[in-house]
Amino acid sequence: MAIALERSAVVPQRAKRHRIWRGLGHALTYLGLAAALMFFLGPFFWILTTSLKGNEDFFAFPPVWIPAEPSLKHYVGLFTRSSGARYFTNSMVISTLSMISALVVSLPTAYSIARWRFGGGLLSIFLLVLRMLPAIALIIPIYIVYRTLGITNNYLGLVVVYTVLYIPFAVWLLVGFLRDFPLEIEEAAMIDGCSRLRALAQVIVPIIAPGMAVVALFAFIATWNEFLFAIVLTGIETKTMMVLVTSFTSGGTDMFYGEASASVVLGVLPAFAVAFMLQRYLVKGLALGGTKG
Amino acid sequence: MVLIALVIVFPLAYSFYLSFQNFDLSVGPEHEFVGMKNYTEGIFRDPRFLGSVWNTAVIIAPSLVLELLLGLGIAMLLSRVLHGRPIITALLAIPAMVSPVMAAMAWRMMFGVKYGAINNLGRQLGLLDVYFDWFSSPFISIVAVVLVEVWHNTPFMMLVLLAGLQSIPQELYEAARVDGANPWQRFWSITLPLLKFTMVVGVMIRLIDLTKLFGLIFVLTYGGPGGSTETVAFTTYLAGFKDFRMSYAAALSYVIVGGVLILTLLFFWMQRVREARAA
Repeated sequence: MAIALERSAVVPQRAKRHRIWRGLGHALTYLGLAAALMFFLGPFFWILTTSLKGNEDFFAFPPVWIPAEPSLKHYVGLFTRSSGARYFTNSMVISTLSMISALVVSLPTAYSIARWRFGGGLLSIFLLVLRMLPAIALIIPIYIVYRTLGITNNYLGLVVVYTVLYIPFAVWLLVGFLRDFPLEIEEAAMIDGCSRLRALAQVIVPIIAPGMAVVALFAFIATWNEFLFAIVLTGIETKTMMVLVTSFTSGGTDMFYGEASASVVLGVLPAFAVAFMLQRYLVKGLALGGTKG
Repeated sequence: MVLIALVIVFPLAYSFYLSFQNFDLSVGPEHEFVGMKNYTEGIFRDPRFLGSVWNTAVIIAPSLVLELLLGLGIAMLLSRVLHGRPIITALLAIPAMVSPVMAAMAWRMMFGVKYGAINNLGRQLGLLDVYFDWFSSPFISIVAVVLVEVWHNTPFMMLVLLAGLQSIPQELYEAARVDGANPWQRFWSITLPLLKFTMVVGVMIRLIDLTKLFGLIFVLTYGGPGGSTETVAFTTYLAGFKDFRMSYAAALSYVIVGGVLILTLLFFWMQRVREARAA
């Protein structure tokens, strides 16, 4: 009897202590994550507010963290004076073209690997080599070849390089999606009189469209972010956003804050979009996607 | 496949051929065979390239350690979160999706002497009493580069490790808890051993990428002050596209490829030996 009484007194106490510890653990977890969020997102926040500041706010002390009267004048300046519009368009055109051509080339290749295991081993070797190869090793010969061909200041030159650099990754992802695709549906279409090509175009493509969108978005962001090839292979007319941004660094550490920050905001926009849309695939995409430089 | 061969294999072969010539665009299109001269110059006689090898190592080592530790910490915090994990993960992942150039530019502005966020925040909080120039000394410049690199790529490590953590069966922890293991013991004897492979893969990928570190340096420091943050990729770029010594740059790029290859093999070999010893 006495023992039973004692236990009933002890258990709630222990449970209570347990709950307190647990609550504390949760609080610390969220606190840690909040700190991490501040560290990783703070710079974006600062760049965004800076790009919206008027000039007098840059020079103010104590510093103005959130501008009282946000203005878009730096964006206007970027698009008119620094020909940002042209470079933004360049980036858009180059990335879109590379994305489309990478998809067009990869789809049949991926299909043949998924269905007949044609060249699958070669693919993984290519993927590995590409991942390891420093872009700097490719850029020198490519530059010399392009110079002799006279296509250094040309969309085509960059698009070809980006497409090829991206194909192995695109194929690898697509093979995964195609393997998951039930063979029966394809067979049914072919029994109903579809040619293989038509089955691919009209039956398979619509169904794996989400997968293709993943590949496309990764291709887009990879080419959008690429810098080494862009700076070497572009001229005044074909510069991309990445190259434009570097032009602001000429004025030492205190530079053209307004337009520089505006161009950074525009430059990182696709990253935000992709991070949210492709969450599930981020690890794959980042681990294997193309050459970084 | 033909296209890939054309754009990848051919340039590599051509560049290998070039590396034994003395092709220099500032002199003219003529070039002749010079044997191993470019390689011996790069490996034994060019203090700039040798310095850049050292700089790259000095940047890589702390970056890898910090990225691994921070990434692991954040991943473990994330795996404890019950509500809103996808959105927090996506938010934290953003820096990794940003171009190195953009990341460096944002930070370069933050490091700005008079109007940068860091100096201003420091002064406002009373931590700094002068406008500090973050790129005035080699040591602090390297610290700054490492900081930006850690900011940029810890999210990648975090994502990889989070995926690894989530593949560890929850029953193991329950069993350990029943056996009376405290959180510390659970971490050392369940999480760490089971996460080891993921960690190795993550570090390997980062190591390979860090040897290519270029855009970040180009914007943040342009190799300065006094070449103290010049990485191998950056020095090779300067040799090729500033001095126009194409053959020399080609040779340097092959030295880098060789170095990365050796590093990778060494890493795998060490891993193999460790596992063999453990087994």
